[in-house]
Amino acid sequence: MAAVSVHQFAQCITCHAWSPDHSMIAFCPNNNEVHIYKMLEGKWEKIHVLQKHDQIVSGVDWSISSNRIVTVSHDRNSYVWSQEVTEWVPTLVILRLNRAALCVQWSPKENKFAVGSGAKTVCICYYEQENNWWVSKLIRKRHDSSVTSVAWHPNNILLATTSTDGKCRVFSTFIKGVDPRNSAGSSDSKFGEQIMQLDLSFSWAFGMKWSPSGNTLAYVGHNSMIYFVDDVGPSPSAQSVAFRDLPLRDVLFVSERMVIGVGFDCSPMVFTADKRGLWSFLRFLDEKKTSSSARHGSQFSETFGKFYGQSKYGSNDTGGTSRTRGGVHENCITSIVSLEKAGDTTVTTFSTSGLDGKIVIWDLEKQNDLLDYA
Amino acid sequence: MANSLRLYLTCIRNTLEAAMCLQNFPCQEVERHNKPEVELKTSPELLLNPVLICRNEAEKCLIETSINSLRISLKVKQADELENILTKKFLRFLSMRAEAFQVLRRKPVQGYDISFLITNYHCEEMQKQKLIDFIVQFMEDIDKEISELKLSVNTRGRLVATEFLKQFI
Repeated sequence: MAAVSVHQFAQCITCHAWSPDHSMIAFCPNNNEVHIYKMLEGKWEKIHVLQKHDQIVSGVDWSISSNRIVTVSHDRNSYVWSQEVTEWVPTLVILRLNRAALCVQWSPKENKFAVGSGAKTVCICYYEQENNWWVSKLIRKRHDSSVTSVAWHPNNILLATTSTDGKCRVFSTFIKGVDPRNSAGSSDSKFGEQIMQLDLSFSWAFGMKWSPSGNTLAYVGHNSMIYFVDDVGPSPSAQSVAFRDLPLRDVLFVSERMVIGVGFDCSPMVFTADKRGLWSFLRFLDEKKTSSSARHGSQFSETFGKFYGQSKYGSNDTGGTSRTRGGVHENCITSIVSLEKAGDTTVTTFSTSGLDGKIVIWDLEKQNDLLDYA
Repeated sequence: MANSLRLYLTCIRNTLEAAMCLQNFPCQEVERHNKPEVELKTSPELLLNPVLICRNEAEKCLIETSINSLRISLKVKQADELENILTKKFLRFLSMRAEAFQVLRRKPVQGYDISFLITNYHCEEMQKQKLIDFIVQFMEDIDKEISELKLSVNTRGRLVATEFLKQFI
């Protein structure tokens, strides 16, 4: 088993993030709060509850060097939390959105963050010293549907987005006064300029990431496909990989040649690139036993049992569960976060969270067949 | 179980398994709303192609999917008038108590006898496999239940007729 530790924090987890030293974890238990747990004497203890939002929190990210947490919620607001002595102090960010915010990510230099929203826009927020607040700049009229995921290029300028219109787009987010001139490559592009638009997926596109070097971009479609894009720019080259299982929700680059995808199949999937750079599905990270669906010959009584509230959540079923997946997660995995330490070139540990309320930490050290790709 | 029924139910089970990939998704048309997209149909890009599975003309199952919700509509076999009336009464009885079933829709979609509405909230608090089992089990049992009801109505009718006609002997 590649799963190192499994912890049931809540009934359902929408998103999670780790503190810089990985001793604390912040997650949203499917409501308007963010809980922060700390590992104390081998046990997870709840130490803070961040309460400011009034609808479900859809995204959380913890910056590594500045130790700040940013949260976004369906109530259209975003807060940046900074730690002062023992308390977390919120600062409201006026996103200027009129629909729900769906995802958030700090830029690599942590001077900006990007928020994807249901208003078909992306907000780039940066700190303005003289006014002492976070300013939001919008990329408007580019997306035809909700923005489901955002990912920063390591150069701190390029931002990739996926949307429910099935497209993947790359924008320049150069902001005068925040980003130094001629920083890494495409310095002459203005804010909000679209560098690239990919129309590979016939269905909604979700989670995406850049490879550690920023050369490759991976994103997933709801039609059980994963897309790899090289040479981001005017003439990109793309590879589509179809697989036979349920669609993915999020991806993570472990190295330049290995990607972990998580989603509705409840078990992380490993995708690797061979020597020529061709990507393919390798295997499930989790051992998976599929027992054939057992029939339980209960009569209509079961339906009526449900009717009278006896077997409300399928807990007191007549013995045989229909299909035990055998994996660690029991429901859809919605997010995957790397646990790399500062200075590491490849990721060997990462954590996943999902609708079953578990946070699972995975380690790739002992997976011998994966070592070639690290 | 008849062989063709098994194929029909397996097909529905597999379709449901693929279709039940739902997630929380706030409305993009109305501020601070979160509604099943399959019911509102405000943004066409959030809907998937509906799947219609037919066993024969009288028995079919329509599965409509959207990003955060899934609607299953069933048409139950009705061979004669008696079955027709029994199905109508029985499914009405169930629909009126829809909140006890959680996934049952209060009104069936037009042209169908009974509809289920599954949202991402159901998938969050219940196991997906159990939900699918429930739907399939329901379909399996509904035919059985209707034919049992029909039998008992016939038996009772015969009994009543016999008793009634005894007075003329």
